[in-house]
This record gives sequence, C-alpha cells and structure tokens, in this order.
Amino acid sequence: MLLERQALAQEIPAAAGLETRELCELFAALGFPVDGVARREGTEVLDVDITANRGDAMSHRGLAREVAAKLRQPLTPIPALPTPEGPAVVEVRLDSPACPIYSTAVLELGSGATPQQVQAFLLALEATPKRLPAVDASNELLHRYGHPTHAFDADRIQGAVSIRWAKAGETLVTLDGVTRTLTSQDLVIADAGGAIALAGVMGGDGTKVTESTRRVLLESAWFDPKTVRATARRHSLHTDASHRFGRGADPAMARVARDLLVGRLQAWCGAKLLGAWTVGGLPPVGAPVTLTESLLSRIAGEPMPLPDAAEALRRLGCEVAVEGDRLVAQAPRWRHDLAIPEDLAEEVLRLKGYEGISSVLPPLEGPPEPLSAAYLQRQRLSRRLAHLGFHQTVTYGFISPEMDAAFVDPANPAEGRTLANPLGQEYSVMRGSLLPSLRAAAEQNLRQGGREVRLFELAPTHASGPQGPVERFMLGVVWGGTLGGDDYLSPARGVREADLSGIARTLGWSGTPTVRVLGEGLFGFELPVADLPQAGDRIIPSFRPFSRFPAVERDLSLLVDLACSHEVLHRAMAAALPAECLQDLRCVDVFRHKSLPEGRQAWLMRMRFQADRTLVGDEVDGWVAAALAAAESLGARLRA
Amino acid sequence: MDLLKAAPKEQKRDLGAAINGLKQQWEEGLKARQVELEDAKKRLAALATGWDPTLPPPVPAQGALHPLNRLMDRLVDVFRPLGFHVEEGPEVETEAHNFDGLNIPEDHPAKASSDTFYLAAHPELLLRTHTSPVQVRTLLRVAPELATRGGIRFLAPGRVYRKDEIDPTHSPMFHQVEGMLVGRGIGMQHLKGTLEYALRALFGPHTEIRLRPSYFPFVEPGCEVDVSCPLCAAKGCRVCKGSGWVEILGAGLIHPNVLAYAGIDPAEWSGWAFGMGVERMAMMLSQTPDLRLFFENDQRFLKVMGGLD
Repeated sequence: MLLERQALAQEIPAAAGLETRELCELFAALGFPVDGVARREGTEVLDVDITANRGDAMSHRGLAREVAAKLRQPLTPIPALPTPEGPAVVEVRLDSPACPIYSTAVLELGSGATPQQVQAFLLALEATPKRLPAVDASNELLHRYGHPTHAFDADRIQGAVSIRWAKAGETLVTLDGVTRTLTSQDLVIADAGGAIALAGVMGGDGTKVTESTRRVLLESAWFDPKTVRATARRHSLHTDASHRFGRGADPAMARVARDLLVGRLQAWCGAKLLGAWTVGGLPPVGAPVTLTESLLSRIAGEPMPLPDAAEALRRLGCEVAVEGDRLVAQAPRWRHDLAIPEDLAEEVLRLKGYEGISSVLPPLEGPPEPLSAAYLQRQRLSRRLAHLGFHQTVTYGFISPEMDAAFVDPANPAEGRTLANPLGQEYSVMRGSLLPSLRAAAEQNLRQGGREVRLFELAPTHASGPQGPVERFMLGVVWGGTLGGDDYLSPARGVREADLSGIARTLGWSGTPTVRVLGEGLFGFELPVADLPQAGDRIIPSFRPFSRFPAVERDLSLLVDLACSHEVLHRAMAAALPAECLQDLRCVDVFRHKSLPEGRQAWLMRMRFQADRTLVGDEVDGWVAAALAAAESLGARLRA
Repeated sequence: MDLLKAAPKEQKRDLGAAINGLKQQWEEGLKARQVELEDAKKRLAALATGWDPTLPPPVPAQGALHPLNRLMDRLVDVFRPLGFHVEEGPEVETEAHNFDGLNIPEDHPAKASSDTFYLAAHPELLLRTHTSPVQVRTLLRVAPELATRGGIRFLAPGRVYRKDEIDPTHSPMFHQVEGMLVGRGIGMQHLKGTLEYALRALFGPHTEIRLRPSYFPFVEPGCEVDVSCPLCAAKGCRVCKGSGWVEILGAGLIHPNVLAYAGIDPAEWSGWAFGMGVERMAMMLSQTPDLRLFFENDQRFLKVMGGLD
C-alpha cells in the first residue's frame, strides 16, 4: 500500500518528526515492512507491505493507529460532522444479510472542482484524479480512512434500490466497460432495471458519475468479506474496494465515511444535501477472547504481567478486563483478526517488540531419530556419482506429453498424470521417466561445446494409478561425448553403452541395466532407487575368509558366433568349472575383424582359480579343457 | 718421438718430460670426455624412460552435487546436532494436506487454479505449494505416540510447485526447507534460540538475527527472520539494500488449529515451525543473477557452484 507521509502526519502528528529511516524501521517492527520509498508530487511516498490478515491497516488512518499504539501518542480525531439524517429520498432495501448496513445521502451538485491538494494526494498514490468531486472524494476517503464508498448518478437510478443476490445469468456492465455475467452468489446493488453495481467490488457503467451528473446518491456500506472475496475472484476483479471489504472493513465507518463524503461535496462544490439516511444497523461484534497469563508467558518466553498486556491491547483499541489470571478482550470493530488467545498474545508481543524476545535452545524432548535409510541412500548415491565424475541436475517434474511418451511404458498412460492447468503443454505431464529431461540437459551441454557430458538426477517419477499418481524415486544417469584425450596417457574415445553399464554395476545394480540410446554417442539408464542396495544394518559386514595361496590365471581365445551372448557362454563355462576354486571368469577382449570367419568373433575368456592349497598344473588343465568343451557345445571353438 | 731422437742431447731430457706431460694430458682429456659421453648417454636413457612431473597428469573425472542439494544437505547437517531428522512427503498432495490441515481458509487465493497446479483426472489432488504438508503428515503420524516420545523435531526439505511463469526470479518449481518442533511449553524464545544457533552455524559466529512480526495462516504469532547481511558483514551493500539485514525465512509458533487438525491437544503441546526458500538463499549467497541457471544444468555452472563436499 502506498502511504503519503504528510497525510500520515495529519492522522498522527507524532509521525511528522520521524526520519524516513526511523519510520521504515518502526513499520517493519510492527509487521509492515517498507518495500520502497519514492518522491512524487513534492512529497515522500512509502510502499508499505500489508499482510493479508490486516485489512484494517490498508489506509493512512489504519497505519497511523499502529504508529500511535507503538509510540503511545494520540491520533487526530476524524473531522466528521454528523450529517443530520431524515426520511429516505429513495427507497433502499437490504435483501441480503451480506449487507447489514447501508448509509446513504442524495445531494445536488453545485459548481466547483476537486481541490488541487487532493488531486496531488491522489497522484502521489498513483491514483488518477477524475476531476469529478464525487469520484475523487470517494477515492481520497478510501486511501485516507480505508473505507470504500461509491457515488451513483441519482438521476440514472430507476425506482427503489435494493442490495440483493444477483439472479443467475443477470448481466452488469462494470465501470471498466466489461459485461459481467453474474451468479446467484454475487451480491449486487440493483434498481428497478437490474443490477447497477457489484457490491463492494465495482460500480456499474450505467449509473456512473459523469460531468453532466446533477444529483448523486452516495453509498457507504459494509459488505460481508467472504462474499466480496468470492465475487472479486469469480470475476478476476481485484479493486481497491474489494481488497478492503474482502479483508474486513470497519462497519462503524459506514456512517462516518458517508458524513465525510457529504462534507467534502458541500465544501468542494457547494453541493446541497437533499436527504441522508441509514438502512440497517451494525452487525454484531465478534465474541470476546480470553487470554490466560500462563499462555501469554509461555508464548513470550518470560513472565508477562496481565495489566501490562491489557494496557497494550487497549492501545490497539480493545476493551479489556483483567479477571484474576486471565484477561478478556473485545477487539475493536476494525480488527477482524483477533479471534483466539494466541492472536492477543501476538499483539502484546508485537507492541513490546520482537527484539525483546530472549534466545533459548529448546530442551531435547526424547531420543533423536536417525536419518531414514532411503534418505541416506540418496545422499550416498549422489556423492558416489559426483565422485565418479557425474553432475547432479535438478529438472522440472513436469514435461511435455511427447517427451514423456518416448520413454514411458504404455501401461503408464499420461492421462492420470496430466495437470488440469499447466503453464503450457510442454509442462503438462508429471513425468514417468527422468530420461527425457536428462537427455535435454545433456544435449544442451553438448551443443554449448561440452566435450563430454555426465549428468545424473535423483527425483521422483510418477505412474498413473486409480487413486492418483504414484510416486517412485528414480536414479537417472546420462553419459555422452568423448572420453579421455585430455592428457598424454588417456587415449580419446567415444562413450559406449558399456560405460553406462559399468556405472550401474559400480552402484551395486546386479543385473544388466537397460541402456537407452538417447542420441549420437549419448546414452542413459534409469533405475528405481529402492532396488539399489541400501546400507545394511551392520556397520561392518561379517568376515569372509580369503585364500593366501597363489592364484592361477588361464586364457582361452575362442571363436564364437556373433549371435552368441556373453551371459549364455559364461553360464555354460562356469557350470563346467569347480565353483569353490573359480574366482573369476570373464571376457577381457572382443575382436571383430574381416580376417575372422564370417559370422564369428573372437573372445578372450580369462579364468582365475584359487583355493586353500597350491593348485597343480594338471588339475587346472583339466578344468580348462572342461570349460572349452562347454564352450564348444555352444558352437564356439578354439581360435588357432 | 722422432723429434726427440733428433734433438740435441742436452735438450733431450727436457723435451722428453714435455712430451710425456702432453701425452698424459691427452690421455686424461680422452678419459674425461669418455665419462662425459657415457653420462650424457645415461642421462638421455633416463630421460627417455623418465617422467616429467610438470606434464599435465591424468586427473580422475570430477563431478559435482547440485548447489541446491548441497545447500539443503548443509541445512540438515546444521540441525542434526540438535536432534532433528528428515521427514519427506509426496509432491502430488491432497488439498487437505496442502491447505486444510494448515489452517488455510477455504477461500484462500493460493487455492485458486491461477496459483496452484491441479491434476486433471483427480481434481482433489494438486502439486504441493510448500513443504508444509509434510508437517501435517508427520504430525498425524506421530500424534498417538507423542506423549511416549516426548515431542518431535524434524526438517522437511523438498521440491514444491507454484503457478509462476519462468523468468529470472520466478520458477514454477523450487525448493523449500521446512523445520518443525513440537514439545511442551515451547515459546518464541525457543524459535529464536534455535534459529540463532542454526543461522550462526550457516553464516558465521558473528551473525545476528532479527525477528519481525508477520502473518502466515499456519503460525501464531508469526514472524519474518532477517540475518545480518553475510556478504558485507552488515555494513550495507547491494544485496541488503544498504540496510545490513537480509530476509531469510518465515516462522512462528504452530497455530493451535494445525495441532488440533492432527489430533494433538494444543493445551498440552506447542511448537514452532519455519520455512525457507532454498533458491532464494542460494541466489543471495552466490550472487547468481538468474534463477533459471539452477535448472539449466550447464556443467560449467554445476562444477563451479556445486562441488563435492
């Protein structure tokens, strides 16, 4: 909210002597931080941040009340001369409980314009003066006292005025020229011809005050906050009036604001009062709130005497009675946020100043909990991958349906994971896989001139389910570009699928991961984190004995069918070897060349034997022969 | 030698000595040169098989943790000694956990589809707009055992979503770290004490903190917390706009309605909660000019900003 310093000083003269910096600190200490200070129209304007619960502070008067309470200084009385009320000039009916009070007056306008200083005040607050006294006065009162009012062109109103719920489908052209189709939850001001204003939100175009307006009907009412909020939201019509009524205005100000408005029109343009009257009455006040000394002291962290607390609350306008170990406070009509004892305690602390709160570490209530295994597993995985040269990424959880479909099982349809109101189609599906996002990040890195890209992400993916998307934490890894070649010992080569497989193995994945080709020389895999090994309960695993006798290594160079899988050959050869002595069996070299028989490749299979004794050459020869026979049974033969 | 034979007798003695001297000199020279050549050969051989320690060596590939994760890990590290553990929750949440259990009124603007992402096939489900639903889930879970355990204290780091367009200071997905403590007789002094400890552990022992009144529906009293500017030691700079203070998080005592929703008696139990934006803090600390850099995942950015430890 914009606050003009001179207008503030008119409400609270003690503020006039404060430096701008002091004033900003004072507001911040009261819970209203100042976002900026500007100079406009020869005056200083503060941009004050008002929290949503404090509609009462959204005016110069409202903030002045806060300063007055904090500084224990008096406010200037509101200079309103009560307008003598008489019989209604126009019939006004209250047909909805959402408007309990409606103060009004009809005036015949004379000649005269909005005073210069009022125009300057409005300009300083970035409001445009209309140079129509009825409109400018209403606007000025809103900023000064926080109570929205409205002026209708009385000669354009047909018959009686009623404040009623709109009829579903009824239309109204609002002041901004937009035709609004209303619902039965919208509160309107209506005449015999239909709706003429959206109550507490915006006036209607058909009854607006113009230069040719001769007679005005003033409106100074109080509308139910919830109703106003709903209407403003329904029509996306957030106005100065809806902000104030929506957060709760002061119903007692209905009459006062009407009187102020009448006084201004009389003074500015010699308006003649044709009649003033009020329909309805003040809504009931909220229930009083009881605050015990023990609750107050618990919240404040120190003993707080109730008489001091009562005094603080009185400065804020509460009526307070102290009864033994508790106080009972009736909040003023402008405060709609004081509903529970904690609210009162906050007010007492706020006026005392949060800077006075002491600093104490809370006592430990019980034994602390360890970090969860799943959390620790992700921490370990990310550190391990970072040490393996991979960079952790953070990408959005939603992607385009096309990107998603390319990587997700058809059994996981995107419909169950689609947002109703995405930022755009490209961010509309809660992803079923991390790979599309990782691929995009990897390609971007390579396009930007990266020689090699190594990325990983640990994040949830979603699967459509009958009750809604089911979350599963996944690890995605991508690797691409050129490996090595950065120093005189490491030859350069392209990244291969096998490199990714190796990473999955080193993370403890037991099987062969599905390595996806994501682009030229760019590969990736994705694994459910829960299926990767977690740290066991034991700090150190149980001891497994190992042999101190020498190991024997034997190689077999085999010609095998191109279609032969290593897994099958390995299984067959291992089955032929004594499990207790076979320490390792693996292919250590693959040779494919046109010099080899067609359809064949050469694999160098290495066997490593070790036992709790020295192995004899003959027995090892026997094992190797058995392994060869097993390989031959699969069509392999010894390479000459 | 021929010269010596032909030389006059009286000179023979001197001449002979001179010749011998020359011969000796020559032989010594030859020997020295041979040693020299031998050494040179050895040196070359050594060089050929040797190692130039000034050549760039092979360096194992070095990756990096994401700076946002690093910052969240650091926060967990800071709170661990106080007995806080980590609680987590799903990103797709119910309205009840995200709003109702947090004392957020039925018609609060944050519930609007202009602010919150909803699921098309499940209108009651949404993408959590803060990590606070983890509070609701955790309190509901521990409520029956609260008396036996004496209370609870935890952090909830995680990803959250709000319907903001992507620009240098906004992102539809970002991270929060939420902290909560429930016990008996907990007041504002405990909130201040904990945050003072934590923020000093993060920013240095001379850090000062300041609480200012503020409003969040799920706490009462509520406050914003400022730290003395860690970049200029509170002398006044661009980051703190010359004030010496930087706003770092929002906090307060847990609203009794939040405890009651979870089945915890607010007359017996009380506590505090805080929530901070991870990106906001990361940008402030690192002076990163554009929020989007954290989600672009450029390795050059990650290497410098993330690091390993």
